Amino acid sequence: MKRKRHVCLLVFVCALFWGSSLAVAQKSAPEIQIFEKQVNDYIALRNKVRANAPKLSKDSTPEQIHAYRTTLQDALRTARPNAKPGEFFRPEVADFIRRTLKAEFQGKDRQELREQIFETETQGVVIRVNYPYPQSAELSEMPATLLAKLPPLPKELRYRFVGRNMLLVDRESDVIIDYMPDALP
Amino acid sequence: MRRTHLLFAIVISAILFTAAPAQKLHTSSAPAASAPLKLALPIKDGSVKFAVIGDTGSGTEQQRDVGAMMVKYHALFPFDFVLMMGDNLYGGEAPQDFEKKFAEPYKALLDQKVKFYATLGNHDQALQVNYANFNMNGKEYYRFTKGKIAFYSLNSNYMDQKQVQWLEDQLSHETAEWKVMFFHHPPYSSAKKHGSDGQLREVVEPIFLKYGVDVVLTGHDHVYERIKPQKGIYYFVSGAGGKLRTGDVDKQSGLAEKSYDRDLHFMLFEVDGDRMYFQAISRTGETIDSGVIQRK
Repeated sequence: MKRKRHVCLLVFVCALFWGSSLAVAQKSAPEIQIFEKQVNDYIALRNKVRANAPKLSKDSTPEQIHAYRTTLQDALRTARPNAKPGEFFRPEVADFIRRTLKAEFQGKDRQELREQIFETETQGVVIRVNYPYPQSAELSEMPATLLAKLPPLPKELRYRFVGRNMLLVDRESDVIIDYMPDALP
Repeated sequence: MRRTHLLFAIVISAILFTAAPAQKLHTSSAPAASAPLKLALPIKDGSVKFAVIGDTGSGTEQQRDVGAMMVKYHALFPFDFVLMMGDNLYGGEAPQDFEKKFAEPYKALLDQKVKFYATLGNHDQALQVNYANFNMNGKEYYRFTKGKIAFYSLNSNYMDQKQVQWLEDQLSHETAEWKVMFFHHPPYSSAKKHGSDGQLREVVEPIFLKYGVDVVLTGHDHVYERIKPQKGIYYFVSGAGGKLRTGDVDKQSGLAEKSYDRDLHFMLFEVDGDRMYFQAISRTGETIDSGVIQRK
């Protein structure tokens, strides 16, 4: 009984220590903070843009969905006329993400992860900032284990792979917001 | 936490057929060389009846054949709703694609007020969640109940921490007797093209085990598979509702209890108390597999 109590106490102390060290680690990653600021600025801009798009209900028709998507695509492009690669994936952010990907993709047990990404049929996808990801192309599944290690994104944005390149995509409009060439090792 | 132990009794067609005498129906609009319809489900009063289709959105004649066969079986077995395993629209999502690849092939069912509940596949755009006929309520992942069953539709394309947390929160408060997950990528599959999604399994399987999930329905591989129970959970791959990958099942994998890769298919389910009956049916109406999962 006594032993059990000691084990519980040890687990509790470890949990506290782990939690606080995680918080410190998160705070001490300035590259993530830079990325988060860019993302937050984008969301603020997007919210303004979206206010002028037609409303989309959860019971929409295909025509309403199509109108919403195309209006949002055009509006986002207009709102960021000078958007260029590297705005979000700045060098320090890109370094951080590349390190994360390299660590995640190391080892034989991660071979399946690579295969899964590279089997995605993305031929013909033109990676161009401010232009939509083609609807005819397959979307790569983002590995759950990897998403747990990348900086989290708000629901409006998604990471996506095309070959070795990593994209940042607006979820609803599918507009490519930024990309990082040769992200995957 | 209540841990559900399941007993899996495969009652081969013969037993089921004696419980529910085979019903035959011939109609002129059946696809070429269609088999006589045989129902291997008990059709009990008050049971929950539903169908499952996956990887449907090709807009091909074969998809329409499956839709037509579902209508025939609906006349015998009036299922109230259909679960869609993702890849609902291949190759484009203009208004005409919704029509050709969904509304038209299943028009007769939609007209009879059969509800479709979709999940997103790797060919589906995010805004499908807003399409009225997919009943996703604007959500990429969602839960709904029918009788004593809780259904969870997950977005396996993007299993981020928010979704994982949501799933855990929901399951930790779940009071439904049956817990059924449906999503696109199969944690277990013996198909050669994709196969088991190990990294997804690494994240979701511990949660399924912790909260006593009973059944997992998936698609992605364009075949039919009933996987041997894995740690007490029953997995199905139903990914050939509109596309087929002939000969794709690796029979040597040892994973599947039953598999079929010669034609397209759909599935029927009936839940009555602690029993979940299932039947997999080919495009031409042939019964591929049937059985019952007993919940204990």
